[in-house]
Amino acid sequence: MIAHLKPSSNDPLSVAVRVEAVEKAYRRGRTSTPVLNGVDLTVAAGECVFLAGPSGSGKTTLLSIVGCILTADRGRVQILGEDVLSLDAARRVRMRRDRIGFVFQRFHLIRGLTALENVAVPLRLRGTSSQAASRRARELLESVGLGDQGAAHPQNLSAGQCQRVALARALANDPELILADEPTASLDAANGPEVMKLLRRLTTNQGRTAIVVTHDQRIFPFADRVLWLENGRVVETEQLASPSPAGVGAQRVES
Amino acid sequence: MWTIALKTLIADRGKLATALVGVVFSIVLVNVQGGLFLGFIKKAGLLADCGEADIWVGHKHMTTIDFPQDIPRRWVHRIRSLPGVKRAEPYIIGQTNMSLPSGGFELVVVVGVDRESLLGNAWNVVQGRPDAILRPDGVIIDQCDLEKLEQPKMGEVREVGGRRARIVAFSHGIKSFLVTPYVFTTHERAAAYVQKDPSFCSYYLVQLEPGASPDEVCASIRQRVPQLDAFPRHVYSRISANYWLTRSGLGISFGAATLIGLFVGLVIVAQTLYSLVLDRLAEFGTLKAIGATESQVYRILFLQATIMALVGSLIGLALAAAIQHFFSTPVALIFVPAWLSLGSCGLVLVICLIASLLPYLRIRKIDPVMVLQS
Repeated sequence: MIAHLKPSSNDPLSVAVRVEAVEKAYRRGRTSTPVLNGVDLTVAAGECVFLAGPSGSGKTTLLSIVGCILTADRGRVQILGEDVLSLDAARRVRMRRDRIGFVFQRFHLIRGLTALENVAVPLRLRGTSSQAASRRARELLESVGLGDQGAAHPQNLSAGQCQRVALARALANDPELILADEPTASLDAANGPEVMKLLRRLTTNQGRTAIVVTHDQRIFPFADRVLWLENGRVVETEQLASPSPAGVGAQRVES
Repeated sequence: MWTIALKTLIADRGKLATALVGVVFSIVLVNVQGGLFLGFIKKAGLLADCGEADIWVGHKHMTTIDFPQDIPRRWVHRIRSLPGVKRAEPYIIGQTNMSLPSGGFELVVVVGVDRESLLGNAWNVVQGRPDAILRPDGVIIDQCDLEKLEQPKMGEVREVGGRRARIVAFSHGIKSFLVTPYVFTTHERAAAYVQKDPSFCSYYLVQLEPGASPDEVCASIRQRVPQLDAFPRHVYSRISANYWLTRSGLGISFGAATLIGLFVGLVIVAQTLYSLVLDRLAEFGTLKAIGATESQVYRILFLQATIMALVGSLIGLALAAAIQHFFSTPVALIFVPAWLSLGSCGLVLVICLIASLLPYLRIRKIDPVMVLQS
């Protein structure tokens, strides 16, 4: 069963992501290239926020920092109530594994594993038994409409199906936060919106928070809010709907 | 982890096959090369290993079976009188020439046994009878030396040490370490062939009473006759083998060849694992991104290396057993004891695990952010 996470305004965790004055620079030798220059970002629990902007604007870097993959040079990053900059490497790994789900542009499914086994990977990493992991993976595949494709290998699935498997994998450990990096970039015009519809249905509509990096303006209607980044700063916020799950955006997607 | 490790390994069959070739190569090489070496060196102690004596007694400085020092034959009575000794008989080993039909000569090792007990006589006699050496001029030679001795026939007369010798029986598989043909005959005749004083011999072969301790009897012999030394047969066999190992450098040359083979296997396995990892950097990055710990990532590599080692070892052992079955002969004996097979598998497993460290070091450097940036 997929848990329904209901955010509450009284809950201190009702703010899922809080990023304050975050700076990040990539260093190569003595050269330092600033990527984020004092970014502020707050995402409410259950909200679906898109990060848009030109290449090099820092979208993926910001997503990586929120996903505990990168650490910020300066600033404050609070994810799901945890000050992640103070976490050691092992706790950041646990945070990623247990509380955050990732959807990648190129799916990054493991070759040699079936769709079912791919979905079960995060569960197995967490120590879930093989049987329980398979049962949960089967449920998730059914929820993304691939219940009959469990035995299929990624190379035998279409791009849209692969992204759905990747989405099911991201949900395996029932995370509170979903981070998606260009989830529709490798999909055609028909599959892109389909995957986004699914992503909204299985994430924010069930109380999960989602942050999506995208260039694809066709899917903007699926966002509650779109943040524009340029030169490592948020330069514009476009409110498309009141925050889901009760928000207009979510209702529009479902309709 | 097991499923991930196994299935991702099988998914890349080409590379898996390459890695298995490396492991199989190492296992076959260690077992066949090692088996040839052990088979070869085993011949140095063949008379002790396959004879019926429990203890070999010889000169104080006895070093190897085929190069004995003379000892007085009469001292055998002192040994016979010791407790635990059932039988002690003189035994003679010496070298001389055998005439060939072509007019040439071949160096042979003459072995003379006590005519009453025939202790230490040829075994595995396949044509004729072992006691045929009691017949006038009777000698036994081995079938493995037929070519070298220019195809002697049963009953044929040759000259050994300038004296008549009639071939009365053939054994099979008694091949000396020095590839010099053995000629078995009686003690007196052997002394005549090698022109040795018959009142001297090379060894006393001792058989023990049931329950007697070989080590204790050896100690009694040393105490009773301080000019002599005595060893249980397996000990003297090992001493003889060590003599050739240390004096000839055989161990170094065989060992070096085997180590080179192992090294080549190691390089193949390491290179294959490394290229497997290079092909899958994004997948390992994904695993790290979605929460795999360093130890879980290493466990995948560890399991893959173990799978390759085990599967490769099984195939390699089967291949080595087939080679042993079809190609081992008394001349080129391939002797593969269980410890060599198990040891080679253990060694290859260790090598594979060491080989897996190289790609692990590469994986450690993978930043999971690459998955988001690709």
